[in-house]
Amino acid sequence: MAKVFELNPLTQKKLNRFRAIHRGYYSFLLLIAFLIISTITRFFIGSDALMVKYEGETYFPVMGNYYSGKTFGEDYAFEAKYRDLQIKFREADEGNFIIMPFVPFNAFENDAVDGVYKPDAPSFAKRHLLGTDTTGRDIFARLIFGTRIALIFALAFTVSVYAIGVSIGCAMGYFGGVFDLIFQRLIEIWSNIPFLYMVIIIFSVIPSTFSTSSRIMILLGVLVLFSWTSMTYYMRTATYKEKERDYTAAAKLIGASHARIIFKHILPNTLSTLVTFAPFTVVAAITSITALDFLGFGLPAPTPSLGELLKQGTATLRTAPWIVSSAFGTLVIILTLVTFIGEAVRESFDPKKFTIYQ
Amino acid sequence: MVMPTDSDDESATTNGTLVDVRNLKKYFPVREGILLRAQAQNKAVDDVSFTIMPGETLGLVGESGCGKSTLGKCVVRLYDPTEGEIHFEGNDIARLKPRGLKATRRHIQMIFQDPVESLNSRHTVGEIIEEPLKIHKMGTAEERKARVTQLLETVGLPARSVTRYPFEFSGGQRQRIGIARALALNPKLIVCDEPVSALDVSIQSQVLNLMNDLQRDLGLAYLFIAHDLAVVKHISDRIAIMYLGRIVEIGDGDEVYEKQRHPYTKALIDAIPVPDPRHTAKMKPLEGDVPSPINPPSGCAFHPRCTFAKDICKTDRPELREMASTGVSHRVACHFDL
Repeated sequence: MAKVFELNPLTQKKLNRFRAIHRGYYSFLLLIAFLIISTITRFFIGSDALMVKYEGETYFPVMGNYYSGKTFGEDYAFEAKYRDLQIKFREADEGNFIIMPFVPFNAFENDAVDGVYKPDAPSFAKRHLLGTDTTGRDIFARLIFGTRIALIFALAFTVSVYAIGVSIGCAMGYFGGVFDLIFQRLIEIWSNIPFLYMVIIIFSVIPSTFSTSSRIMILLGVLVLFSWTSMTYYMRTATYKEKERDYTAAAKLIGASHARIIFKHILPNTLSTLVTFAPFTVVAAITSITALDFLGFGLPAPTPSLGELLKQGTATLRTAPWIVSSAFGTLVIILTLVTFIGEAVRESFDPKKFTIYQ
Repeated sequence: MVMPTDSDDESATTNGTLVDVRNLKKYFPVREGILLRAQAQNKAVDDVSFTIMPGETLGLVGESGCGKSTLGKCVVRLYDPTEGEIHFEGNDIARLKPRGLKATRRHIQMIFQDPVESLNSRHTVGEIIEEPLKIHKMGTAEERKARVTQLLETVGLPARSVTRYPFEFSGGQRQRIGIARALALNPKLIVCDEPVSALDVSIQSQVLNLMNDLQRDLGLAYLFIAHDLAVVKHISDRIAIMYLGRIVEIGDGDEVYEKQRHPYTKALIDAIPVPDPRHTAKMKPLEGDVPSPINPPSGCAFHPRCTFAKDICKTDRPELREMASTGVSHRVACHFDL
């Protein structure tokens, strides 16, 4: 069973090369680390207290438990406002205390300064590290959550595009003939449908009763539906090439089924080239989701997103430059990291260095 | 053997022939224009008939593009023949449905020209040789492992090769891996498509000797395709010479090699270098290129390059006819007794 984890020495070599390209490798580690840490961001960013010590009892609201205001001696039944309580406890000085996350705001709440929703400049004292946006939401929290959503969205997009594009492209190349001809024409027609109009039309048709998450899934579906076609071109040509090689003929002769030939012989020999496109597909996905958000056709409000911040930021460029600069900075950092990864993958998978045809 | 009415060949199927190819044709349509209609036919194999007996080697010789590889690929049904029959143990390979084909293909395997191309570099040698056994669900995992080790030993590779990858081996060793894979299912016929022409001369004889040994030990029949007549002579019991999709001469190996009758065979044999500096060629070398099989010359396809060509060669196509001087079979497609 250990054999499963044994890699082909060629693949091993490629991975070693990838590791040797530090810029790309560390970018990769950084993004992976971000994705892992972002699953526990509630310990750093959020409006739920990490720990509440009240009248000798200890509570941990951050673990997802709900405590109403009455639990802590307040006169309201809805969820306790931990930030206000913290100040109250500190002033009363009766041994009760509350430990808040480092940034005590979540991405959705409006922290109205003086009761007015307006952008507030970055301030360490108020714990708005990057200031607030036009409705008083903490930009740092929104950036972190927005980036996480964008990355997960882009990864889901890439996986789906690859799954559809590779299987259809591979089928076109493998079966060829009329099947190939018909699909090619269909793809040509399909890829000429203007994508942006389709998004606008679809989102104007979806009833507003749909939940945010299902709207995000629909957006992902629409994006994937209009993006898988480019993958088929590469896959189709690669399959045509591999299909004609003698090892495929040998597999046919020993009685291998179509599925076996495709999955055991052709795919492993073509995928290494397709892997090099993957990081750039992620870049494209982040860019397009940001652009759609900027135009207002992307992730539905109030989902935090980079594009939405950019949109706000350009509107308030003079009065609140911190909005646009932080969103822009984040976008640049993410895209640079992913591009570094892409470059490193392309470099380490370069067939010139590993070809058996010297 | 071109004539389907030939009574000799009809009876051959019943007296223990392993393979009986009858009037095999393989035309590739030449597609042009927007609608990709077939504008012409590339007659890669045009009306070829021959038989192979169990344990026998038939050498198939011809220039590049004469259709010999296409013929080999038709016999293993990598190509679907346009016309004709390929009888193998009572089954017509040319018409088998997928299920029957899988069962019959067990007995017909192929060794390819370039082992770099024919071995999947993503699989270990063990996986490559075990795959046919897995597909045909032969034995348990342990039995298959034992069989792989045994096959490696048969072709002269160390047992530790199983965990290594094809690209870690030399050309000759890779060809041995290909042979081991072909042997895995205990085939009766192996189609060898130029199995040694990609190898160094020093390695060629090793691989040829291995193939000879295997034939002796396992009773294999070979359809040995090559462009090198000397190599074919070394291994073949019978030799067939192909020109432009047709067999122009077929017969006992020594007979064809020593007493060739067809002008094309004469030219081929004359082109074999003789290791003697005082030796001078009897015939002048062949001139011109092989004509296009899309639009072959009229009559005898060889007439534009033939030094003996007369008017009849331009109009009438010669059929194969028996020209044996001794007891063995020797058939030639030429109008003249040269």
